[in-house]
Amino acid sequence: MNRHDTIEEQAALWVMRREEPGWSSFDEAALDDWLDQSDLHKAAFWRLEHGWRRADRIASAGVGAPERKSPRQRTWRNAAMALAASMALVFALFSLQIVHLPAESGREVAVSQASTDIGGRKLVRFGDGTQVELNTATRIRAAMGEGRRVIWLDSGEAFFSVAKLNGMPFVVHSGDHAITVLGTKFSVHASGRTVDVAVAEGRVRLDDRGSGQPARSAVLTAGQVAVAGDNKTVIVSDQAALERHLAWRRGLLMFDDVTLADAASEFNRYNRKQLVIADSRSAGIRIGGSFQAGNVEAFARLLHDAYGLKVRTMPDKISVSA
Amino acid sequence: MVDEQRLNRWFCESVLPLEPALTRFIRRNWKDAADVVDLRQEIYERALIGARAAIPTHTRQYVYTVARNHLINRAKRERIVSFELVADMTAFDRGVDAFGAERQLSARDELRRALAGLNQLPPRCREVILLRKVEGLTTRETAERLGISINTVEKQMTQGMRALVDHMLGGPGRIQRPSILRRRSKGPRP
Repeated sequence: MNRHDTIEEQAALWVMRREEPGWSSFDEAALDDWLDQSDLHKAAFWRLEHGWRRADRIASAGVGAPERKSPRQRTWRNAAMALAASMALVFALFSLQIVHLPAESGREVAVSQASTDIGGRKLVRFGDGTQVELNTATRIRAAMGEGRRVIWLDSGEAFFSVAKLNGMPFVVHSGDHAITVLGTKFSVHASGRTVDVAVAEGRVRLDDRGSGQPARSAVLTAGQVAVAGDNKTVIVSDQAALERHLAWRRGLLMFDDVTLADAASEFNRYNRKQLVIADSRSAGIRIGGSFQAGNVEAFARLLHDAYGLKVRTMPDKISVSA
Repeated sequence: MVDEQRLNRWFCESVLPLEPALTRFIRRNWKDAADVVDLRQEIYERALIGARAAIPTHTRQYVYTVARNHLINRAKRERIVSFELVADMTAFDRGVDAFGAERQLSARDELRRALAGLNQLPPRCREVILLRKVEGLTTRETAERLGISINTVEKQMTQGMRALVDHMLGGPGRIQRPSILRRRSKGPRP
């Protein structure tokens, strides 16, 4: 075993993963970080990338690819997987799991990760006293120690209670946005290319590093909610809006004059049984109120009782129509 | 200061084609064959560091000089200077001629080489590489198609990629034997 072997193996993983769907600008930043660590890394990566690209010609040669499994087999396996997943969901539903991730290990900064399934919630504690509460279908990665505290919110939503450590910033990356913390409590929700940040206590700085535009930066204080999209960031100071943004921590969804379509997509974040609004007239109905996020059936019943909508329940979805 | 994009282009277009000659040069002048790949990578590293100030106009001469100096330094540090090494190194001008320019490969040569490299891979590994290159499947899709774990796909893919690239650049293109460390370290990303 030699040093080069390890580096080349890592370089190969980078080359491979960069081709995968879901490669984000922050994966790119992590790769840049690795490349900048040493020209040994750069040489290994550039060499593999170059040679691997040149091997693309294989595709033009019409080499036979392995035989495809029949669609029937695939459907059965998918169904079995979905069943297993929904059974797991029953147990995971709103049980608050607590796991500990190591703050650091040895000399190298440990990169750890935590995630929740649909409907899951989880509290993660770090060695520095920071706590991160993960909402449904959420994945974070963390690099803590060695003078830095960095968390990547790859998907979903999380509430951060950041322990104040002198001189040690705490940064949350999500999409093209970076949130730098100065000892505070706040939540971040990554949704497509938009990021919502709701600050419960203290102060955070929201930086935008989308490509092809000048960097933008905004400071948010307690009670403010920011919605940062591709080209603009909207900040509101509204205690009620803040409460709605943090309601998930109590297992609730709170709506204030939103369309049924928007409410349905919120419910669908928490439940495998998807709520489908079948016609545009129903989709435009505006609703408000607090609901149990995990109880989509109750919400559908309410739609029937209060608005006279037709509700059809199927194994994997609930269809609502006028 | 040379920007990284230019450095990358120079490295891929001018340095990597020298790899067969560089590998031969190291092998000829170094006793322990197990060190060859390590040494080559260190020479690449030094070549990049030096070229960042200015891209050399005579890359062949430059890489040869970097390689020669590095081997001498390593030999001195490890107190294993052999007379052959020093003799060869001092015959500088003759040395750089032996450090021959490789013929530029045509597209047809390149394809032939890629296919030959592919055929050397073990069957499972070849299958994984083909699914990626021909059908463009993701790691997850490949795992589903072959009924194996994502971890196995990643392992086969990185091994196959490394062997194939080695072959594309004129090396033997053999799979590195799996090491204990690889199983332990999960790579750059969790």
